[in-house]
Amino acid sequence: MVEATGRFCHIHGERFLEAQALTKTYKVGTQDVYALRGVDFTASQGDFVVINGPSGSGKTTFLNLIAVIDRPTSGEVLIEGTPTSRQSERQLAILRKTKIGLVFQSFNLIPVLSAAENVEYPLLLLDVPKRERRERVGALLNEVGLSTLANRRPNELSGGQRQRVAIARALVSAPKIVLADEPTANLDSETGGAVMDLMRRLNQEHCVTFIIVTHDPAVSGYAKRRVRIHDGTLKEGATDVVVDSAS
Amino acid sequence: MWWWIPLRSLWRNRRRALLSIAVIGLGTAISFFVLGFVDSSRASIQVSTVQEYANLQIASPDLWNDTADGYDYLIPPEDASRIETIVTADPAYAGSTQQLQFAGLLAAGNQTQVVSATAIAPENGVLDFADLVTDGRALAASDAASVVVGRSLADRLAVSVGDVVTLTVTTVAGAYNASPFRIVGIYRFTSEQFESQVLFVPLPFAQLLLATGGVDRIVVSLSRLGETDPAKARITGALAAAGLRYDPRSWDELSPFYRQLSSYFDALFGFLTLAVSVLVFFIILQVLTLAFLERTREIGTLRALGTTRGEVFRLFFTESVWLAVVGSAAGIGVGLLLGLVFNAVGIEWRPPGTIEPVRLAVTLAFATAIVPFGVSLVATLLSALFPSIQASRLSVVDALRVD
Repeated sequence: MVEATGRFCHIHGERFLEAQALTKTYKVGTQDVYALRGVDFTASQGDFVVINGPSGSGKTTFLNLIAVIDRPTSGEVLIEGTPTSRQSERQLAILRKTKIGLVFQSFNLIPVLSAAENVEYPLLLLDVPKRERRERVGALLNEVGLSTLANRRPNELSGGQRQRVAIARALVSAPKIVLADEPTANLDSETGGAVMDLMRRLNQEHCVTFIIVTHDPAVSGYAKRRVRIHDGTLKEGATDVVVDSAS
Repeated sequence: MWWWIPLRSLWRNRRRALLSIAVIGLGTAISFFVLGFVDSSRASIQVSTVQEYANLQIASPDLWNDTADGYDYLIPPEDASRIETIVTADPAYAGSTQQLQFAGLLAAGNQTQVVSATAIAPENGVLDFADLVTDGRALAASDAASVVVGRSLADRLAVSVGDVVTLTVTTVAGAYNASPFRIVGIYRFTSEQFESQVLFVPLPFAQLLLATGGVDRIVVSLSRLGETDPAKARITGALAAAGLRYDPRSWDELSPFYRQLSSYFDALFGFLTLAVSVLVFFIILQVLTLAFLERTREIGTLRALGTTRGEVFRLFFTESVWLAVVGSAAGIGVGLLLGLVFNAVGIEWRPPGTIEPVRLAVTLAFATAIVPFGVSLVATLLSALFPSIQASRLSVVDALRVD
């Protein structure tokens, strides 16, 4: 159960996302290379999880799997208790546009659309009426501090501004979870800090679950919950104890 | 969204979009121009062919199939009269006349020429060739031993209006007969062969010369060219119902030259349009494949945001629809301009076997634009299918990895 009271939500631990024994292997020549080894993971509504790990540790692979843009070699991702591994491409696309917000390292804004139109795009996919779209886009741009730059194209915005547009885009369809892949990697430390502050604030105010993968130790400071990923296995908290792993 | 996002993408990649539009436009313009030229040429040949044969000619199958002995194919006067009654009743009927064509020898001084004589009903208005006469006058109803010859024949025999020539023929019974004829007029026609072989004499005098009351054909003129085939079908039915064993032939069936030329025009336009379409297809295929390849990451983003494969296909295919519509329309515009300039310049050409130069022209009509527009549209959309399907089928993760 999640309630937004005033500006902050109170989390009652409703499970939204569950990864069960997730394994992902890639073929390199004749050999199977493990990117993830039987990872178990659970995220509840209102979580702010930072998954930290070095390059090549399997962070992005893990994020891609829980974002249902990739399929595991074995294991299962459950969104609100529903298994996703047998769902069609179309069903997964609908799941993404209705329940998951994505923030990319390189912002990945659509270059031909203005900031406002980029934010509006997920609502167009959901056939939200024009008036409501305007209201929601305006409110979110205001919230991320970009209302004056609404008509700018991505190439007319700074890195930090682009990432804020991307965050607004991820939140506009009111998803239950936002997954961010290295959201500060292309930003200077000050701008990165501002972006993290913004995400933390939105997590508090909108009760949206944030899962952020990063190799930047500074980002971990914003976490309510820290998870470390190493060699395809997850370790919860600051300890080095492997929560779950497959051989 | 489904139309304006693709439009924005095209605007952003203006150079590539313009290149695509130029290729499609050029292809359309070439097709439009060639089809306009073919249509114009065909129309002008239609006019001269109908001028030579009228819309329909009704004769014995033996004449059409060249299976008669002597003059066995001739239509007796009573049958000719019944046929004329039938054709007069047709709703598209504009006029009719009886004719008799026969071979003979035309002599002037010590010059002799094999000729094809056409005996006509003068002043009938249907295929009386009066308007072809450029020197002297046309045959009159009161004429007897009068003849109108072509200018080429007159030149060969070194005769002119007022001269007397002798026409020798074989009668229906197989005997030789000859008569002097006074040249009352000289005509000109587009075909040199026609001018040098065909002469016109009054039908009653020709029947006297051949010792027959029959004719070899009934020539029918219709109110409109487009009525030819329906009228032919109606008259065929009416003749059969009346027990008359005669066949109508339309002007295009009677002119092997028109049929050959028409087939040639169709082949020319077909080949050119096919070649242009194939060229447009492969160039656009290449351009779009490259364009979509450059946007792999964007496609990955769209898919990651929840855009379905079908929606990605729709977005990218719509870009091609814009290109196809704008390119084809621009091509018609360019073709129209080219045609206007071409028609204004007025280039003349003398086709082989003809006397008068023909003014080359391009038909610039809405109907002429439909086929080139449609062909370019279809070629572009077909070429867009493969890259659009490919774009929609990209793996999201792989697409997002592309820099």
